[in-house]
Amino acid sequence: MIFMRIWNYLTGYLVIRVDGLSLEKFINLAVTNGIYLWGINRQSYTSLTACIGISGFRKLHSINRKLHCRIRILEKRGFPFTAYRYRHRKLLIAGMLIFLAILYGFSAFIWSVEVEGNEQVSKETLINELLELGVRPGAFKGRINTLQIENRLVIDIPQLSWANLEIRGSRAILRVAEGVKPPPIINKDIPANIVATKDGIIDKMIVLDGLAKVKVGDTVKKGQLLISGIIEHPETIGLRYVRAMGQVIARTWYEGRDSLRFDDTYRKRTGNTAEIKYFGLGDFRFPYKKDEVPFVEYDMEVTTKGLIRTEVYHEVELIPWKDDINSAKAILARSAEAKAKADMPPGAKIVDKKLKYDIIEGESITAVLYIEVLEDIGMQQDIDVQ
Amino acid sequence: MRRKRLDSVKSKVSDMFDLPKDITLNLPRISMTGNNQMLIENHKGVIEYTPERIRINSTIGVIRLQGTEMNLRNIAADDIMVTGGIKSIEFI
Repeated sequence: MIFMRIWNYLTGYLVIRVDGLSLEKFINLAVTNGIYLWGINRQSYTSLTACIGISGFRKLHSINRKLHCRIRILEKRGFPFTAYRYRHRKLLIAGMLIFLAILYGFSAFIWSVEVEGNEQVSKETLINELLELGVRPGAFKGRINTLQIENRLVIDIPQLSWANLEIRGSRAILRVAEGVKPPPIINKDIPANIVATKDGIIDKMIVLDGLAKVKVGDTVKKGQLLISGIIEHPETIGLRYVRAMGQVIARTWYEGRDSLRFDDTYRKRTGNTAEIKYFGLGDFRFPYKKDEVPFVEYDMEVTTKGLIRTEVYHEVELIPWKDDINSAKAILARSAEAKAKADMPPGAKIVDKKLKYDIIEGESITAVLYIEVLEDIGMQQDIDVQ
Repeated sequence: MRRKRLDSVKSKVSDMFDLPKDITLNLPRISMTGNNQMLIENHKGVIEYTPERIRINSTIGVIRLQGTEMNLRNIAADDIMVTGGIKSIEFI
C-alpha cells in the first residue's frame, strides 16, 4: 500500500470532482476502460470526488462524451506538478544539480578506514601500512587496487595469513586473519641439555627425554643444568647422548617498583569541561560550536570522527602528591604492576602478589610489588660432543 | 438447465482436485477486515453507490452492502475495496 502511494506521488495524480446523474455508470465505464480510480467519495446524489492518475485523466474525456458528466480538477498532487511549479527557479534547479554532483563527487573518495580481525598486530600498524599503500581518508577510490594491496599486506606483515580489503561506499574495511607460525623444526640428532633461564624453586618437572639432575623443591640458579642430555648407564660403560626434552615449571619472582616525590604535583580533573567542535578536513576546519575556555590549566582531548573534530578541554587542578596519598598509591600500584609484568613471559601463571609502600616522610613514596609466578624455566642448550 | 449441470460438474471437479472455486466457477472472492474494510475481487461493476448503500454486480447476483459513510477506497478492473462502517451484506 505504501508502495502504491509513493508510486502515485512520483507519477502525479489529480483530485477530480464529477457532477452528473449516472455516476455509477461513470465508475463502471472508467473501470472497464482500464482507468484506476481510488479514494472515491460520494458527496451528494449528483456529485463525487475521486483520485485519478494523469494518464487516466487523459482517457477520461473519450468516456465522458457519452455520459455528459461535468469533470473538474480540484487539486493536482504529486512530484510532476511540484516540479512544474518550480521550473522557473533556475538557481534552485542548479543547486539541486550541484548537490547531486557534489554527492557523487564525494562518494568517489574514501572517508574512513576500518580494521577488523586483528589480535596481535596493532590497529595502528595496519592503518600505517594502508596509508603507505595509499588507502587513507581522502584517497581517490579509483586508484585503489584492492587485490594488490591485499597481497602487499600479507607480504609486508608476516603475522598476517589473510587480508581482505573491501571498499564499501566511502568506507574502506580491512579484514585480516592472523596465522600461527609453525614451530621451529627440532633436529633430534644434536644432543642437548636443558638449563635454567632464571632463578627459582622447582614446582613440577615433566621429563620426556634425558636424565633429571634436579628434583621438585630444589632451588636452582640461572644456567644450572636441569635435565642432562648425557645418560650414563650403570651396567654398560658407554655413554648415550640424547636431546633432552621436558618441562621444568618453577616458582619465580618478579619485582616492580615506582616512586613519586611528595612535592611533585599531578593534574586532577575538576570535572569542568568546555568543548569546541570543528567541521572540515585537514587544514580547512571551521568551528561550529565554540565554548569559552576559561581554565588556567587544562588537558585537551581531541577526537576526530569523519569530518567532525571535537576538542574537549578538561579543567585541572595541580595537586601535590602529599595532599592526596590515596591517588598516589593507586597510580604507583598500577605502574609497579605494569613494570613487573613487562619482564614476565606470556605463559606465566600468577600465584601470589605482595604490594608494599615505603614512605619517606616529607619526601617520597615508593611502591614495591612482588609477583610470584609459575613458569617454564627450561631452555635447550646444545652439547658439543667433541 | 444445461448451465446448472455444467456448474455442478465443475464444482465436483474442483473439489476432487482441490482447486480454488473462485477461479474454476468464476465466483467473486470477498474478504473482510472487521466491519470497516471489504475487498471484492472478480466483480462485474458498480450498480449503485451512495455512502449508505452500495450495490455491486457479480456472477452470483447483486451484492448489497448497507452501512454508514462508506466509500470506495480503490476500484480497478477486477477488484473493489470498500471502506467505512459496513452493517450488512446481502446476496440478492
